[in-house]
Amino acid sequence: MERKRASLPTEIILIVVGLLFLFPILYLLQMSFKHPGIFYKPLMLPDRLYLDYYKMALHGDFFRSLWNSTLVTVFGLGLTIAISSMAGYALSRRTDRLFRFVFLLLLTGMIIPTVGSLIPLFKLVTSLHLGNTRSVLVLLYTAGFIPFATFLYSAFTKSIPRELEESASIDGCGPLRMFWVILFPLLLPATGTFILTNVYGIWNDFVTPLIFLNSPEKMTLMPMIVQFMYNRQSTNYGPVFALCVLAMIPLLVLFVFTQRYMLKGLVIGSVKG
Amino acid sequence: MNLKRRHYWTGVLFLLPALIVFLLFFFYPFLQSIYFSFTRWSGSGKPVFIGFENYTNLFSDPHMTDGLKNSLKMAVFGIVVQNPLALLVAILINRQFRTKAFIRTAIYFPVIISLVVASVVWGQLLQYDGFFNEILNRLGFESWTEDWLGTLKTSFPTIILLTQWQAIGYCAIIYLAGLKSIPEDIYEAAELEGAKGFTLFRNITLPMLMPAFTIVLFLTVVGALKLFDLPYILTNGGPGTSSYTLFLAVYNAAFKENNYGYATAGGILLAIFIIVVAIIQLSVTRKREVEL
Repeated sequence: MERKRASLPTEIILIVVGLLFLFPILYLLQMSFKHPGIFYKPLMLPDRLYLDYYKMALHGDFFRSLWNSTLVTVFGLGLTIAISSMAGYALSRRTDRLFRFVFLLLLTGMIIPTVGSLIPLFKLVTSLHLGNTRSVLVLLYTAGFIPFATFLYSAFTKSIPRELEESASIDGCGPLRMFWVILFPLLLPATGTFILTNVYGIWNDFVTPLIFLNSPEKMTLMPMIVQFMYNRQSTNYGPVFALCVLAMIPLLVLFVFTQRYMLKGLVIGSVKG
Repeated sequence: MNLKRRHYWTGVLFLLPALIVFLLFFFYPFLQSIYFSFTRWSGSGKPVFIGFENYTNLFSDPHMTDGLKNSLKMAVFGIVVQNPLALLVAILINRQFRTKAFIRTAIYFPVIISLVVASVVWGQLLQYDGFFNEILNRLGFESWTEDWLGTLKTSFPTIILLTQWQAIGYCAIIYLAGLKSIPEDIYEAAELEGAKGFTLFRNITLPMLMPAFTIVLFLTVVGALKLFDLPYILTNGGPGTSSYTLFLAVYNAAFKENNYGYATAGGILLAIFIIVVAIIQLSVTRKREVEL
């Protein structure tokens, strides 16, 4: 329902509120351009375009972490999509006892938080010799996403007519080929929803890489920023702000172009803790 | 093998990869954590079974108890303050006006910002010689200035306020979806009967928003229990234990003190709280669905 028009005073209040919400980001942005002479004068705006912080931030560590974050995000989402779409399809088409049991098992994954299992996970990962690898992050994110993604795909599969599969198998199409070539493209809305709701979670995650990674070569962006900040306690934070801006840009671009879809997805996805 | 059986095994095959990853990296560690929480274990060597000792110790450890108290404070604040504010924002954004797209984007934008970036900015703004205190000084409120994150009294309340920057937008999104799902003709019918203004809000909007409300409630409480990044980066739980959260206490017990058995018990306690809230939320939502 979109009923009333807002009155002018309401609109002005909303604009002020909107600016307040944007303020920290604008503050971050201007701090990244403020030269050392006025850096510690909080009320002064940059008087010229000072780019040295960006030059300092754009060193090897940043590109390495950007690459790591990209790898972990792409493979984490990709693996989840690959295996959950198949599982969701199977769950929506079969009603045998085994499948109903697996459905309930996965439902526990929607309720039980990963927090409690972090320590056994840490031990498990070490015993599998996966400690300090990016693969382990991919596997952990995937395991955490599987319940939600499977239910999402299962719900979307229900809206696709079975006749499609039947005619494909009469034409001699094997089940795997049939799924990937015919069904999966039709599940694109589910894939889109899943990506747009979870890409931010992986990219912005701090605690998982903090626990499971320890070498700088493997580190993703967020823990790298914090580490970089701790190493600069005595000097000014200019380069830290520049790093924050750079780490934010990919998601910002994505958000601007996909805002509408993302908001819809957030509502569907918000049931998962 | 007949066609039916072949279909069955194809289904199993499709299920298997997801099931293996889920069981190995989610369910198995969860079951293990229940066992470990009853042991004394430093990570190396064999865990020693000690019954409920870890659990009783949790409640005499100021890190854990303060963490729990802080999470509860934050949850209460979330329900009493953040929740109505988010609803108000959603109701206002739901109206028609020219700058709508800008305002919606501005309010949702913080939701996608990482807590690390948020911590860096807020940490800078709230420093003793930072932006906020400078503003207070200029406005003549010198006596109000404070080392916001470094003082016993103000550190956690400040962190709670900081979470609002992202939480209000997030909850407003959910409320807005709820508002949009209310059919217009219900209002029209009620208006024909002579109802208007607040009566409409109380008798139609609020009850119809119940599903959105339970989701927001759930997210608020779980968010309060799982808060980690902000206190870890901004205060590391200090000064003293004043800004600990339960998750931070668990993290430190495990990865700073190698007290794995004990930390796992803390993690289980945290998980129990979240499971209870989740079950309440799910059953309320179910009930509503049946009624509708």
